[in-house]
Amino acid sequence: MPIDHRKLSRRSVLAGTAAGAVLLGAPGIVRAQTKALKIAVLLPRSGYLAQAGQSCHRGALVAPSVLSDFGHKVELVHIDMESNPDVARTQAERAINEGAQCIVGAFDSAGTLAIAQVCEQRKVPLVVNIAAAPQLTEQGYKYLVRNFPTGGMLVRNGLQQIQALIDTTKIAPKTAVFLHANDNFGMAQRKGMDALFPKAGLPFKLLESIPYDPKAQDLSVEVTKIRGLNPDLLLVVTRAADAIKLVRDTVRQKFQPMAIISPGAPGLYDEEFYKALGPLADYHVDALPWANPKSKVTQALEAAFTKQQPKYRFPVECFNVGFTFDALLIAADAFKRAGTADGPELMKALMATDLADHAMIGPPIKFDAKGQNVDIPSSCVQNRNRTPTVVLPADAATMAPVLPMPPWQGRT
Amino acid sequence: MTNIWHNAGARGKLLCLLLLAVLVATPLAADRYLLSVLILVFYFAYLGQAWNLLMGFAGQLSLGHALYLGLGAYTATALWTLFGIGPWLGVFIAIPVAAAAGMFVGWLGWRFAIEGVYFALLTIAFAEFTRIGFDHLQVTGASAGLFLSVNSPGSDKWWNLGGGPLLYYYLALILAAGATFLVAYLRQSPLGYRWLAVREDPEAARAVGIDIFRARMIAMLFSASMTAVGGVFYGFYYRNLFPSQVFDIGRSIELILAPIIGGLGTIFGPVVGALILTPLGESLTALMEALGINAPGVKLIFYGLMLMVIISLRPDGVWPWLARRLGLSGARK
Repeated sequence: MPIDHRKLSRRSVLAGTAAGAVLLGAPGIVRAQTKALKIAVLLPRSGYLAQAGQSCHRGALVAPSVLSDFGHKVELVHIDMESNPDVARTQAERAINEGAQCIVGAFDSAGTLAIAQVCEQRKVPLVVNIAAAPQLTEQGYKYLVRNFPTGGMLVRNGLQQIQALIDTTKIAPKTAVFLHANDNFGMAQRKGMDALFPKAGLPFKLLESIPYDPKAQDLSVEVTKIRGLNPDLLLVVTRAADAIKLVRDTVRQKFQPMAIISPGAPGLYDEEFYKALGPLADYHVDALPWANPKSKVTQALEAAFTKQQPKYRFPVECFNVGFTFDALLIAADAFKRAGTADGPELMKALMATDLADHAMIGPPIKFDAKGQNVDIPSSCVQNRNRTPTVVLPADAATMAPVLPMPPWQGRT
Repeated sequence: MTNIWHNAGARGKLLCLLLLAVLVATPLAADRYLLSVLILVFYFAYLGQAWNLLMGFAGQLSLGHALYLGLGAYTATALWTLFGIGPWLGVFIAIPVAAAAGMFVGWLGWRFAIEGVYFALLTIAFAEFTRIGFDHLQVTGASAGLFLSVNSPGSDKWWNLGGGPLLYYYLALILAAGATFLVAYLRQSPLGYRWLAVREDPEAARAVGIDIFRARMIAMLFSASMTAVGGVFYGFYYRNLFPSQVFDIGRSIELILAPIIGGLGTIFGPVVGALILTPLGESLTALMEALGINAPGVKLIFYGLMLMVIISLRPDGVWPWLARRLGLSGARK
């Protein structure tokens, strides 16, 4: 198309420049006047972490209505990071370009670290919902807070809960074996166990720690070894598929421990675990952070979740849903106090968080100078009627713990 | 090198200079998101060139190139975190480590006549057992990962690769452009012709006096060394390494897609492939959002379908067809 030079006057060029300047400045104006906090929720909703990522996503979907009831306004942008740090990084850049004022995510430590670098450079706060690598808050990031325990905290708090469980049920285990997956999470737990078990003062001896490959077809070799050691307690760090293999091989080899306890790992409370094992899934214990069934926030979250996600059971999903919701609540609360979505101001407000009412069991949410909430306790959750049920601490429990667990035979 | 430039033709020279000028000037206009996408494009183009040397020119299929990527990444980042040795020096230690691993795999395969798919299996096996080894190597954090601090002294300096996207953009561009020129040079060298002879018919090549073992070993040396440099880039760009991700077979597959889509055994194939693949993934994400499709995984299905369409329409890769369309007769290879 030919350009009509007669119409390109100095005035029109000036007007165009002014309009361009207004357009370029628009994001800043929008940011200053914003009423709702725009949060990008980056989760691994496809790829190898999809199951957990989808579960967290369901929590994020339910969150806006619940947060609104508590007086918070948020606008969420849901982004799939495909279990891939490359995607996490580029999508974090895109989300911030498109106006995200805060980021929540990302379940997996590698993906979270990729996002953390972008947030650090762009001065946009990142609230970590779930990621256990201790280095996340040890590397010096100034725009990151984490409301999730590190691997070491999970083990330490898990061991404390095992002691509480022994005290409450009056069982007297003498020996235990620690069986763990040799993946990232399992090895981090093993490291924590090696460091913390000798100092924990538990009344039983740890006979051996046995790693296994989560890709193995079955765990018969490991269970045979455990059967030979004949421990009273079996401490495990598994994923759902391995937990199913473990219980099946344990029953098949007629090995009957007092309890199978996970000191801070998933696997024993997944829906597929219940479906695959039926009554054999009951009475196993997880010692890990959990949603507080007696908290008004959790009750509101459960009501909204049951309404909006009828295909899923809140008690089974509440670990992922609860932590994701709390991360969004933390961001919304900081925004309310800061009165602005400006990155440095919002970050200051995040660091000053003191949030008493939240979904997960524990004292008010606060962050230390590194951005870590160091006060996230564990609880004991026992499978009862194929539902994870809080049995400790007493102030959050809805049932009393049952140990030793009933024999495999005769369960219906 | 002057030969390559001479053979490119006027249109080829113009396009080449124009493309380079546009890419050098891109940060003036592009936002950070676009830069982050282009960094991945150059990174995959670079790794694609490295792999293409071995497969495209020397005809040896490796499905375990993540081994050299991981060794390069771990060597340089461990040197930095444990001894404070910066990446510019670390890369010269990472290269021989990965090259030695590559030479061993090559020696084992070609010395004992493990060829074709069996050689490919051998490369996978080495990558896998290295992953398992690093899963248990405590000095590099085992499976819990190796992390680079963001606030240690000097970690934010450009000479320690501590900069923002602009630094990595130009670094990735230099790597990709440098690798393309190197490959073009090697392709026209006597060594390049020996590789092609070995690729086309090893027995005939041997009959005319080519030492095929030596030719393949040199291809492996170049390929593993270049991939190790890519690993150093990866380690410092992401600043964290997990064996399950760096040595994963998925990583090996990811880095061979660009040369396959672009055109195996061609100089510009890996570049064109990378220019298609990464933006395609990002465009599909944007398209899914624009269409309001909120079904995770659908994008990956579309991505797979698009690759199938491209491969079925252009089985020799996109570059030979594109070169014909652009009238770049001398540049088709």
